[in-house]
Amino acid sequence: MLEQHAAKLADIDAITNGFAELGYICSKSIATAIFIAGNLEKPILVEGPAGVGKTELANTMAAFMDLPMIRLQCYEGLDEAKALYEWRYAKQLLYTQILRDKIGEVLGGAETLAASMDKLHQHSDLFFSEQFVAPRPILQAMREEGGSILLIDEIDKADHEFEAFLLEVLSEFQVSIPELGTIKAKQKPFVFLTSNNTRELSDALKRRCLHLYVPFPEAKLEQQILRARVPDLTDALMQQLVAFVQGVRELDLKKHPSVSETLDWARALMLLNASELDGDLVRQTLNVILKFEEDITVVDRQALELVRMSEKAVRR
Amino acid sequence: MDGGAAPGEIDKTIVNFIRVVRGADVRVSVAETLDAVAVVNFVGWEDREILKQGLGLAVAKTPEEKTRFNACFDAFFAAVADNDDHDEDEDRPDGPVETDDKLAQMLLDADQSELMVAMEEAATEVGIENIKFFTQRGLYTQRIMRQMGLEGLDAAIREAQAGEGSGQGQGQGEGGDPSGQGGGEAATLEAARARLFEATRDLVEKRLSLYGSETSRDLREGRLRRSRLGNLDRRDQEEMRRLVAKIAKRLAALHSRKPKRRNRGTLDLRRTMRRNYANDGIMFDLEWKRKKIAKPKVMAICDVSGSVATVARFLLQFLYALHDILNDVRSFAFSGKLIETSDFFKRHDVDTAVDHVMNAVGYMPTDYGHSFENFRELGFLDDLDKRTTVVILGDGRTNNTEPRADILKEIHERSKRILWLNPEPPPLWGTGDSEILRYRPYCHMHREVNTLAHLERFVNELVHVVKASS
Repeated sequence: MLEQHAAKLADIDAITNGFAELGYICSKSIATAIFIAGNLEKPILVEGPAGVGKTELANTMAAFMDLPMIRLQCYEGLDEAKALYEWRYAKQLLYTQILRDKIGEVLGGAETLAASMDKLHQHSDLFFSEQFVAPRPILQAMREEGGSILLIDEIDKADHEFEAFLLEVLSEFQVSIPELGTIKAKQKPFVFLTSNNTRELSDALKRRCLHLYVPFPEAKLEQQILRARVPDLTDALMQQLVAFVQGVRELDLKKHPSVSETLDWARALMLLNASELDGDLVRQTLNVILKFEEDITVVDRQALELVRMSEKAVRR
Repeated sequence: MDGGAAPGEIDKTIVNFIRVVRGADVRVSVAETLDAVAVVNFVGWEDREILKQGLGLAVAKTPEEKTRFNACFDAFFAAVADNDDHDEDEDRPDGPVETDDKLAQMLLDADQSELMVAMEEAATEVGIENIKFFTQRGLYTQRIMRQMGLEGLDAAIREAQAGEGSGQGQGQGEGGDPSGQGGGEAATLEAARARLFEATRDLVEKRLSLYGSETSRDLREGRLRRSRLGNLDRRDQEEMRRLVAKIAKRLAALHSRKPKRRNRGTLDLRRTMRRNYANDGIMFDLEWKRKKIAKPKVMAICDVSGSVATVARFLLQFLYALHDILNDVRSFAFSGKLIETSDFFKRHDVDTAVDHVMNAVGYMPTDYGHSFENFRELGFLDDLDKRTTVVILGDGRTNNTEPRADILKEIHERSKRILWLNPEPPPLWGTGDSEILRYRPYCHMHREVNTLAHLERFVNELVHVVKASS
């Protein structure tokens, strides 16, 4: 690890504060995870419900460390040609064309077939050489001189086979290209993997990573996040809002509102010039935090009760 | 780090801790143990909160594991806390002769923390981390107390008793409180010895719950796996359900490499290029991305009458827990009549679904013939094809009704294979009203299945066969 990076990761409070300045309020467990993973140079697998800021964590880390961020969005069917490297086929074809034109000069009037083959072997094989490799995100991250942040987003969306490609990258920070050999990272990148847990990841992958679970934030932390992200919000409304959302998360819903939904809602309420929550306002804007019709019906029925509860939270 | 002890010492604590964590059903590999050691070396032992977070990152890899890990951490480090910050070499040079007096002195001083430290040390010395069964409690309690110098204490008590001799009556009259100052030295020591015993026993019990959980769980699970499903206690049902879920999860992970669904019908440029270098780069032979179409089907037909019901319950739990791999599972249940139960499993989780099934057709007298007729009348025969594996679970006891083996023959002709699972042991096959011998010619496999171990093996093979042949 480079010295300037080590200095930034020297202690947990520095990380917490640095992230806070960049508008990312992290809990102690997140800061500890960054601290340990950064210093031990281990990849970190971040799991948790959608919208709790997993991707944002990597973005903030990039800003905090002042490193380029290389992102690989996973999807079904992603393969190594799109993630690791690909050959520049067009260029390779051109090369063979050129070679055909120049072949006479290269062989330089060799008489026999054996002699011309000997001559040909003396030339380096450019066909599969680094000039013809088109780097994809992972190889790109390996090549960054000053280190980088590599975000492998939603790894659970990729196929099982793809996980196997990643194993070498995650444990050795290197990529093997059969024609070229092994390319080692110039500077070990900080690797983040995120997962929404739509499927169980393989043990082999998990074994190579530190595992951070980011749950929905507690009320206090969520208030801090709101204060950092929507600074114009009044304290009373903010407390009420957080209490309401926390109450909604207790209910039995298809999809619980996440931090990103809370933020959207706060911004929406700002636009509506609301100063406090009431039953009508909640009913009209519920669709900002809930994405399923059934969920909206469930919460709608209990809206008044939740509002009353959130008012109590403010008075306290 | 600056905990002061030698590196080997740290490793032992961590290794013991990992064992405890494994005992709580958190899977920890060797690589993860090394990570844990790296974390400890990096953050040190001082800040418990950070240590907990850090070890949690390295060791527990699902939310459930994190919860169990946290509980383990609290229990473990509460137990070794007293042992931790203290320097071991201090007491080492003291021979056992001096310790005799020391223990008595310690007890008399009632210096609780020093006593605890000594006890922890003795416990480590006798290898308390090897305790496995509750029957070993007495043994370890004795060993620890002896290690702490019990013999010396006993000698001191005898001495005091002899020395007091005549003065005893005097002491009694004065106090009346045997453990108090006035009770004479012998009585005080006696009381202290009793307290020591209690404290040691407490310690041993705590450690047993920490270290023994792994072994006793293994024992219990082993027993459950081998015992007849029909004979299960109500009490064990819950545990059993958990165990089935665990095994099913493992099987699912084992078989979960599913073929890619996309990537078909598009040009495989890479391979086309490779192949056509020989043609001067002119795309002559085209390569297409390919994919095998795998559509294995499994139909499970379960007898849910009396004795077979428990086995049916767990078989269904298995099959539906594996729905990711066996993507086309249909299930039917019968006793007096037959119904399709696939819907129950689509709409509810496995447990509720099984209850629904049992309520609908369970616990009635079996009629195989009628049930097979139902199967045909409801048109399920037409759904069979050469990719379908039919699993039938039943004892073949028809209550002397017509067995209708001809319908089974029809199923046999239309499907890929029929696998018959029989909860009865082989000697009973064909006895009494069992018509199994008439069914057997149409089955590709007929096997005794009545323990969880049998079921596990069967499901494992089923997945293999179904996947390999598709």
